[in-house]
Amino acid sequence: MITPISQQKPWLPYLVAGIGIVISFLLWHFILWHHIEAYLDALLPYKSYLSWLMLLLGVSFSILAGAIIRIIQLDYERTALLNQMQTMLKKEIAERMLAEESKQKLEVALLQGQKLQAIGTLAGGIAHDFNNILYAIIGYTEMLREDEDVNSLKYNNLGRVLEATQRGRELIARILAFSRKQHHEFDMIDLNHTIETALSLLKPTIPASVMVQFESSKDISIVGNQTQIHQVLVNIINNAVDAMEGEGTITIHTTHLPPDDPLLKQLTKTSIQKYCKLEISDTGHGMDQATMERAFEPFFTTKEVGKGSGLGLSIVHSIIKEHKGEILLNSQLGHGTTFTILLPECLS
Amino acid sequence: MAKILLVEDDDLVRDMLTQVLQRASHTVLCATNGEEATHYLQKEKPDLMVTDIIMPKKSGITLISEVKNRHPNLEIIAISGGGRLDPTGYLDLSESLGASVSFEKPIDNTALLMAIDLLLHSKKEKVGN
Repeated sequence: MITPISQQKPWLPYLVAGIGIVISFLLWHFILWHHIEAYLDALLPYKSYLSWLMLLLGVSFSILAGAIIRIIQLDYERTALLNQMQTMLKKEIAERMLAEESKQKLEVALLQGQKLQAIGTLAGGIAHDFNNILYAIIGYTEMLREDEDVNSLKYNNLGRVLEATQRGRELIARILAFSRKQHHEFDMIDLNHTIETALSLLKPTIPASVMVQFESSKDISIVGNQTQIHQVLVNIINNAVDAMEGEGTITIHTTHLPPDDPLLKQLTKTSIQKYCKLEISDTGHGMDQATMERAFEPFFTTKEVGKGSGLGLSIVHSIIKEHKGEILLNSQLGHGTTFTILLPECLS
Repeated sequence: MAKILLVEDDDLVRDMLTQVLQRASHTVLCATNGEEATHYLQKEKPDLMVTDIIMPKKSGITLISEVKNRHPNLEIIAISGGGRLDPTGYLDLSESLGASVSFEKPIDNTALLMAIDLLLHSKKEKVGN
């Protein structure tokens, strides 16, 4: 912080003015009055008026000099302040641009992750239906083949059909392998920080009438993929916003789970591994029992056609499973929904 | 040979499996979902049930857990087309709920028929004892 000039030497203008006034008085008293009084008497009959006028001019000039110094000081100070503000502004713009850039990168990574996950789930869904088709072809072909003579052309041709189905089977196995084993880098991540980043990403999309409360316990680290955890939060919070139809409260709560917590016993989790709990609650319209049972099912949606893919919560489910965690859903019609996520805590 | 309840929502697979089982001299009762299967079980007493997992109205998982409570002696074979969330997980779950064997589609029908014979044979032995 630059110290303003007026604060460094605020007395300077007063000193200059004071000295000027004193000099004026001295000149008036010693020179004009005592030494050249006689000359002036001869030259000017109104010498007393002239001496007073000179005194007045001297004092005025001194005050003016003080004022000019003060103005220069203020100008210098304002310029310095403006320069300082400009530097700060430049720094802030650079910081904002950097933040914007990293936010964009994060959004792209998130979107990419969502897309990959969606493709994986879609591929899994296609594989499921394709396996049924393939199974029907194999079954019918085998039955037809059984009825034919082993040496007949029909028998051989049906054998070729079965060979083709074998290739189809291998292709499906590869698609399934892709949908099940997408590689994600796992690192030690700060859960609370990850939530804060996700919230900053979501902020522009959440209506002002929806309140988001985040209560966190200190130092919660997990081993996981930050983008995937973002996906979990984005999907659940987006659903919550939709469920509240533009008005309500979303509460996010993180906490360390004690080893003797009944929730862990219920889920038969070992007492050696420590878990943390992430709860996301909304005050939306809630779900009935039938919807709750199917909520994590791929392609299941209660939203209008074109508004929901039905993949969001199935993605959430598979991500939590990939993180060796558990996700529980608790909801009641008209009383909102709570997702409870347990994740193994990283202690080192 | 035996009365088998086949629960499968896919027409192609259901009709094909019906023929496969009938060719092996089994009597086949067909249901297109878990709910239909529950209705059948109120009227009929099949020796064995072959059920798909992912089905509308009532899934195979729900059906298996219900059947094991109401008809503990009924042998169950779970079949799944794979894909979607975690098919092997579904099949593992179906076995932990009480299915004796599980198969991932496309199934080797010879292996399926062998499993059926083995289960029916062991069931007869249990009843005999």
